[in-house]
Amino acid sequence: MSSLGTQHPEDGLLLRYIDGELSRRKGRQVESHLKACWQCRTEIEELEETVAGCVRYRRNVLQTYLPDPPNPWPDLYREFARIDSSASGESHMVAKQLAARFVALLGRAMVRRWALGAVAALVMVCAVWYQFRETPSVQAAVLLKRAVLAAEAQATPARRVIQIRTKTQKFTRTLGSRRAVAAEASTAPIQAKLQTAHFDWEDPLSAKSYQAWRNGVAAKQDEVTATQASYRIRTVAAEGELASASLVLRTADLRPVEERLEFRDKEWVELTDITDATTRDDGSPVATNVEPPVRPAVPSRLAATLSGPASISDELQVLSALHEIGADLGDPVQVELSGGRVAVGGVGISPERQRQIHDLLDAVPHVTVQFSEPAAATAPAEPASPDIAGAGVAPVGFQARVEKQLGGHAEFEKFSARILDRNEALMSRAYALRRLSERFPADDGLTARDREVLRDMARQHAAALAGEVAAIERALAPLLVSMGGSAVSRPAATHTSWQPATAELFHASHRLEVLVSVLLGVTPGSSATERLPSDLLSAIGEVRANLDSCQRLLGY
Amino acid sequence: MSVSSAGENVVGILRQERSGGALQDQVAQLFVESRQDVYRYLLTLGLHPPKAQEAVQEVFLRLYVTLKKGEKIENPRGWVFRVAHNYGLKVRARQASETPFDPALEACLVAPTGDPESGLLERERMSRFHRAVEGLSDQQKRCLFLRMEGLRYPEIGSALGISASAVGEFLRRAISRLRKVRSE
Repeated sequence: MSSLGTQHPEDGLLLRYIDGELSRRKGRQVESHLKACWQCRTEIEELEETVAGCVRYRRNVLQTYLPDPPNPWPDLYREFARIDSSASGESHMVAKQLAARFVALLGRAMVRRWALGAVAALVMVCAVWYQFRETPSVQAAVLLKRAVLAAEAQATPARRVIQIRTKTQKFTRTLGSRRAVAAEASTAPIQAKLQTAHFDWEDPLSAKSYQAWRNGVAAKQDEVTATQASYRIRTVAAEGELASASLVLRTADLRPVEERLEFRDKEWVELTDITDATTRDDGSPVATNVEPPVRPAVPSRLAATLSGPASISDELQVLSALHEIGADLGDPVQVELSGGRVAVGGVGISPERQRQIHDLLDAVPHVTVQFSEPAAATAPAEPASPDIAGAGVAPVGFQARVEKQLGGHAEFEKFSARILDRNEALMSRAYALRRLSERFPADDGLTARDREVLRDMARQHAAALAGEVAAIERALAPLLVSMGGSAVSRPAATHTSWQPATAELFHASHRLEVLVSVLLGVTPGSSATERLPSDLLSAIGEVRANLDSCQRLLGY
Repeated sequence: MSVSSAGENVVGILRQERSGGALQDQVAQLFVESRQDVYRYLLTLGLHPPKAQEAVQEVFLRLYVTLKKGEKIENPRGWVFRVAHNYGLKVRARQASETPFDPALEACLVAPTGDPESGLLERERMSRFHRAVEGLSDQQKRCLFLRMEGLRYPEIGSALGISASAVGEFLRRAISRLRKVRSE
């Protein structure tokens, strides 16, 4: 809808309006338009009548005819009690044992008169223990203790490479190597900084150092978060040089892999263990000119491979990880490389998807994942105005013909639903391909490995798109031919790289989408009916031709 | 009172204070208000009545456990439907060999009633409406049923693992088809 309110709201907007799912701004625009437009007001009334039909259907059909539960509903309070008792089974046992010992003691006449006091003491102990047994502080302390024990139990690696970053400096320290000493002069300020915070310069990235600092802080608040790959402890201190610190421990062996220290004067130091990326399996260092680490096959290895300010390579890794979980289809997830970090965000992402992405990327250095609140997501993406030049109008008679061909209205509805679902899947792939080609308009400047990652994603989208267009063709072609349609083949434009080819593919897919919608009566068309079957067959051919060209350029 | 039972009582009292009897009351209240709706939704997912009933109980107990852990749930009813949806699909998947439950609503709608005059027109209309609903795609149906239960678009999206705007699109298509029934 234009800001002047002169055009009718696009399809679907009115339903969102009556459902209260529009942003305030958009809602006001629609409201203002409705005041002036009889046609849209009537449209709203019709929508409301359909909604009322749904309500009646729920009441008169679903509530009336669906069978009642076969058994009486259970008493939920009994189940609550069962849950409570099993959750606290452990504490019960301990309390019982303590109480039993107390009884044995109290059995002696001499101490019997102290019974009341003892019970009171027991109450206090139970209360304190119960209240504090699971707080983040306890979790953090236990985790650190376990990490320290794990480090002591394992043979210390002969050589450990730590990358240290501050606002102004970035360098690598090799612990356990004499060669490192030569470079120490320039690091003196950071060394001093860490020492003021009582961090051991010889072993800064360790659970022991973190534990020693944390134990020295009287007023503090801890936070522990766990993902599949790591634990993250964050401690905010109310006093001392350090305002807060966080330590990431690898889940598998509780080895510290990343640490960030934030000072009260706004300075910060970030330490990352990059030993794995710079050491061969036998522990020997690799050559000075270290190749970027091998791209991880699974996203959880991202944490070990990302180091230094994020690059296009890192952004591609993040995109690839998101691609693995299908977050690049339909969900408006945005990935942006700026200021040395890969920012992942978006609005209107479902909480479940947000959780998946957080689990996947939270532990990855230099990646920020932040989604906008759901409230901000109420403004839906503006659907692209359909480019329906040349599309056929589908008058009542036309749809009746389609229905007749398919064997009736019920068949038509099923067929229509199937095709529209395919159409949607096809478009989600076309959008994903276009996003990739717009973000990486040329392969130049990418390493061979990055190029391969990018092409891999593009190939997978193209293959899925091929599957969808084949399914649409299988379903539609016989119908369209029986309605007198014939395809006019148009060769795809010639391109030298796959990126511009995906743009052509997107336009062809979009045209197909619009024509399919017109055929099924979902979108009103605006030109001759008779051409529609042929136009559709040609559009399918066009998508296939562009897809072939694209896949050829991708080295499929 | 023995010290042993005093110890147990202490733990009991503390536990009660922590989880809160009020919490149990809230979940029990929601259970009474929503169990039939959730049960029916699970039937439409294809669960057989005994399984659907078990699933409803399981979902509400999960709600209790989740709230007891201190997690904040803004719309418990929406949460219940989301969890019921996912749990229902898992139950269905475990019994992949079993035919999904078919409530045969169409047959119920055309069966003669004791009072054929009253509501005949409405029954015919509902029968047509039902056929149109049956013709919707699975996603459209899921969105529509969850919307009928009062869930907002982001909540439906969260249940089905799609974005709120995708929910809007599925609903638009569903309503657009159901409108045709009215005009027939």
